[in-house]
Amino acid sequence: MSFVPGQPVTAVVQRIEIQKLCQGENLILGFSIGGGIDQDPGQNPFSEDKSDKGIYVTRITPGGPAEVAGLRIGDKIMQVNGWDMTMVTHDQARKKLTKKREDVVRLLITRKSLEEAVKHSKGSHPRQ
Amino acid sequence: DSDIQKKIDHEIRMRDGACKLLAACSQRDQALEAAKSLQTCSTRIMAYMSELQRMKEAQVMQNVPRSDASPMDDRLPCKGKVAISDLRIPLMWKDTEYFKNKGELHRCAVFCLLQLGGEIFDTDMVIVDRTLTDICFDNTIVSEASPGFELRVELYSCCSEDDYSAGSTPRKLASKLSSSLGRSAGKKLRAAMEPGACSPVSNGGAAPLLLPVPSVGPKYHLLAHTTLWLSHVQDSFRTHDLTISGNPEECSYWLPLYGSMCCRLAAQPHCMTRQMMAGWLKVKQCGGDPKTWTKVYAVLKATSLSCYKRQEDVDANVEPALTIGINTTRIRASEKDPHGKGQNISISNRYGGEEVTHTLNTESREDTHSWMEAFWQHFYDMQWKQCCDDLMKIELPSPRKPAPVTPKQGSLYHEMIESSDDLSSTVSDILARRMQELELRSQLGTSPTWMSVFEENSPKSTGFPVRPCTSRLSGHSPHSPHRLPSRSPVSPHRCPQPGLLSSDASLTSDSDSHCSTSPCSHRHGWPEPSSSFSLLSSSPSRLRPRTLSLDAKLSTLRGRGYGGGGAFQCSCQPPSSSLLAPHPASSHSPLSQRSTQTTLSCSSSTSSSSSSNSEGSHSPESSEGGPFSRPSPARRSLRNLRARLDPRNWLQSQV
Repeated sequence: MSFVPGQPVTAVVQRIEIQKLCQGENLILGFSIGGGIDQDPGQNPFSEDKSDKGIYVTRITPGGPAEVAGLRIGDKIMQVNGWDMTMVTHDQARKKLTKKREDVVRLLITRKSLEEAVKHSKGSHPRQ
Repeated sequence: DSDIQKKIDHEIRMRDGACKLLAACSQRDQALEAAKSLQTCSTRIMAYMSELQRMKEAQVMQNVPRSDASPMDDRLPCKGKVAISDLRIPLMWKDTEYFKNKGELHRCAVFCLLQLGGEIFDTDMVIVDRTLTDICFDNTIVSEASPGFELRVELYSCCSEDDYSAGSTPRKLASKLSSSLGRSAGKKLRAAMEPGACSPVSNGGAAPLLLPVPSVGPKYHLLAHTTLWLSHVQDSFRTHDLTISGNPEECSYWLPLYGSMCCRLAAQPHCMTRQMMAGWLKVKQCGGDPKTWTKVYAVLKATSLSCYKRQEDVDANVEPALTIGINTTRIRASEKDPHGKGQNISISNRYGGEEVTHTLNTESREDTHSWMEAFWQHFYDMQWKQCCDDLMKIELPSPRKPAPVTPKQGSLYHEMIESSDDLSSTVSDILARRMQELELRSQLGTSPTWMSVFEENSPKSTGFPVRPCTSRLSGHSPHSPHRLPSRSPVSPHRCPQPGLLSSDASLTSDSDSHCSTSPCSHRHGWPEPSSSFSLLSSSPSRLRPRTLSLDAKLSTLRGRGYGGGGAFQCSCQPPSSSLLAPHPASSHSPLSQRSTQTTLSCSSSTSSSSSSNSEGSHSPESSEGGPFSRPSPARRSLRNLRARLDPRNWLQSQV
């Protein structure tokens, strides 16, 4: 999941669409993020590669919109509504998720288990 | 009408004076200033002429009977004070050009003309050369305007190296010179030597007025322009696009503009600052029985009706007994109240999901009428839109002595040493205030230690300021956030603070050795003034450092948290490389400059996701943690600030 500068990043991703929940004045998604290019990647407990500065999901509110939509703790967010999240600061990421005018966010997330699943499926059906 | 004519005459006289001065002066600076006033006067004359023309046309239109004009058309929204300040125009030098330190310095003199509602304002003139990363104008311009205003900003520049006395060389020699010079230089000379060049000025359809233009002397040309409206008004910095004219081939006055301009455009409509209407009323909340009328002194100001028990309370700054918001309100005058005299006005507001209605009762019909008029006017004033949400501050900066201009040796760092004197005291003031209001003393524990960094800032008697950050993070071990709160960060003789350094420093690792071996320590004295600047920029934006390059600011700002758990944290990345050599060696492509804009201007429209590229290969982003707090004003919530100062330092945000 780390990147080589100058090379395109490839990952197996899952699309997750989260409807924001209206709580009083705020629209919430029900999860917390960590990471960012301005943060210390060594402290990220969810990343495999400790130099990965991407945005990770660090907490999911049980029963919240994110959990319902299928987001899991430890997921790395690659895109939010088309905006790239692999090379953003923490605050930029937070802002892209909390835009007041948007009430749905479409995320592209990646997680290790996805890669495993693809690898296994490939293994059982080798390409001709 | 005669007013404008008088103004025109005045400007024409000023212009003549400027022409004469231009012909007479010998020094380049004087010539530039005189040429600037010439340009300003010419523009003003044109503006007044067109204003005159407009007025004449309006008069003609009025004589034609208007059909079916409803009385509502006469109501105009209130005017307001509009202020533009802190103009900054970034430049985009090629990095090869920027770091040249030999070869002649191509310099241009630039200034801005701002046109608002028929008035022209000018900023001071600034000399720009390739050592500056952006053009900053310190002036604040305040004027009155209606909500439909258009503020036109024009940037004029003039090359400050042309030989102005071309006109005085004998003709034969001049023609020889012009033909023997290169194509572009020859063109310039020939243009400068054209005798009797006149600029035709239109004065509203009458015969064009020919104003004599001096053939010698510097001439300013329009380099870029943009127009701002009410929708651009905001209480913080914004970036606007510029339309650039001219190209590098033909124009000596051309500068590589990045293409945008940052400024703070604020407006204070009069309805927010003045009382629109005041008087005695009786109020009752809907649903109450008729006997619960309360007599109050009501004041309509700043989109709300404040009701006080006594008239004196208004001036005494006592909290009003009742405040009714008047922005998304429905106001109706109802029929005569059978119980009391006078008419009723009912005001309904939606708060959340429910509707709250207040009923006002006035003494007489005339009073009711005047209140209704005031309310209607207020609704018209709402055309100021976002300016009515909150009062924006407009401050005229008190005249401060300007930072002394040092002879540039191709390095901006000299300027920073000199000018940091003014700023260190203000920074410590601000910090002291912030400490109190944020109650951080308990959290930070040894906070006075870093405060004392600034307190101990006596002016540079020693050429060796305190260096809170001197080490360089190695690229290999990015995660080594170390705080050593037990060590006293400031030693008595102002040696650098070893306790604050990351342990995995390479190259210039040891603080002592760094200080002693760095050849530029005396000349540059980088971190101390820059540390004040980094915090400066986090404090209210009006104290933004003035003549520094964005480059310098970027390096100081990146990775500088406020320090968590007591010690003043800092990770020095490109700046340390710049300490070793007079000029930063890392490639500061235009991309990096763009990203600094986003960090500095509080609300930026260009969010660059490539800000990591600017660091090159040397050091990772602030890997020491110390979450980089972008310089937004002290409005950031306390919770956010505490989170940032938390020793865990891996920021998590709930969305």
